[in-house]
Amino acid sequence: MTAAEQRPALPDGLRDRVLAASLRARAAGRPAPAAPQIAPEEAFSRAADAFYGMLGVLAEADWGRPALRGLDVQGLVGHLTGVEEDVHRCLAGDPRVARASHVESTQAAADRQAGRPAAQTRAEWRSAADRTLDLVRAAGDADARVAVHGMRLRLGMLLVIRAFELWIHENDIRQAVGLPPSVPDPSTLSLMTQAAAQLLPHAAAVQDLREPVSVHLVLTGPGGGTWDIPMGHGGPAAASASASVGIVADAVEFCRLVANRAAPEGLDLHITGDRDRAATVLAAASTLALD
Amino acid sequence: MPAATLLAPRSRVTDVTGEPDSIGSCLVAEGRSSVHEVGVGDSDALLAARLAAGDPLALAEVFDRLAPVVYNGALRVLGHDAAAQDVVQDVFVELWSHPGRYDPDAGSLRAYLSMQARHRAVDLVRSEMRRVARQERNSRLEPGQPDPSAYEQVMASEAAAAVRAAVEKLPESQRRIVELAYFKGLTCREAAKAAGIPEGTAKSRLRLALAKLETVLDRQLLESS
Repeated sequence: MTAAEQRPALPDGLRDRVLAASLRARAAGRPAPAAPQIAPEEAFSRAADAFYGMLGVLAEADWGRPALRGLDVQGLVGHLTGVEEDVHRCLAGDPRVARASHVESTQAAADRQAGRPAAQTRAEWRSAADRTLDLVRAAGDADARVAVHGMRLRLGMLLVIRAFELWIHENDIRQAVGLPPSVPDPSTLSLMTQAAAQLLPHAAAVQDLREPVSVHLVLTGPGGGTWDIPMGHGGPAAASASASVGIVADAVEFCRLVANRAAPEGLDLHITGDRDRAATVLAAASTLALD
Repeated sequence: MPAATLLAPRSRVTDVTGEPDSIGSCLVAEGRSSVHEVGVGDSDALLAARLAAGDPLALAEVFDRLAPVVYNGALRVLGHDAAAQDVVQDVFVELWSHPGRYDPDAGSLRAYLSMQARHRAVDLVRSEMRRVARQERNSRLEPGQPDPSAYEQVMASEAAAAVRAAVEKLPESQRRIVELAYFKGLTCREAAKAAGIPEGTAKSRLRLALAKLETVLDRQLLESS
């Protein structure tokens, strides 16, 4: 520390004045530069286009490569077709998909791809994704509540989660066939990080994280942001009175963690606060994914 | 079976539409092979990334660490507490509003903020010089006003103590042209005529004088930081 830094020479009130003026210029939590805002429907559309584009560069032999948990690439694409078909039923008001299993209810769609030409599988998935977009546009209300695969949520949130899933499976396939990983554009990624932050308390609840904790989550890089998230029992008041945990992570890496494609130990995380609680929160975050 | 969506399916349907509330928090420390302590010792790159992510704790951390450097540097140049505080505010609001303008690969955050403070402080001095020169021109249009010359005002100003010292160190020929051009408000041609030298020479001397002034003022700020 230099002499200048040791000098306690700052006038009274200067710190408060400067910090307040700064936060008036840009509110806390908002990234700079901010990614252009897009609608959830647009995020899904972009993710679908990216997924479809990736499928287009696969060689015929790539479709038979193991991709994820016993499914080859073609079967994984079939799984996604099945997910779209359940979303269609959801948007049509079919109550049975509300409690349907994300995996079991899509298994038939995955299985029926066996022996098909890859082009047929690709075209079927594209048609299903386009149908999803048509139904969403027809519904016209991103705030409408829908229920599918054990979740009841706003349609807009469902579309962000669907974009998330498409990106994750796109990268599953990329990894399976030796293509470099992809990263969503900042606007799409921003919706994903917002969704992940919003869902963290639910992940904590699912994991029965009882002890109140306040999580200061900072996700860096394009699409990032800062959130203060109360978790555990007792609500925000209890969380604010409890010890806090700070987590700083790259936005893309955190999304991979949330999707269970990366372990906390493998990430360049910067953690503050109670170590055990931080580990619990991160473990809860990774359970937001199904597989 | 493969599937990667958010939220595992449950026997019940989970409502996930709640909005998180905002609450405050503070940062402490921990260590693990891939987990780093946030706070004292944060790299400038990490601080910059946190600032860009809108982390107000990072802003407070940078302020606590580097505001004394900015403030004392500005005070050294300006000689005026209120003006130095304004420089501190300008520098930090700018950093928070446009964190991407700081490039960690180009240098330290300390050096960047010192540079910003120097530019702001020198801009303030220049602005003050222009203001006083304008005042002088206006006063000359009002006969009978016994005001001291603008040069005298500036030289007597506490806020321009550094400028005074720097101008006084200039060679006589350059100091004369600065006085004519800036403090008496003459055009370069008028100043040349008043000094009895060609206009090109006047321009040359003025350029040299301003370059020296900037160097002296910059050095003073750098030394203070």
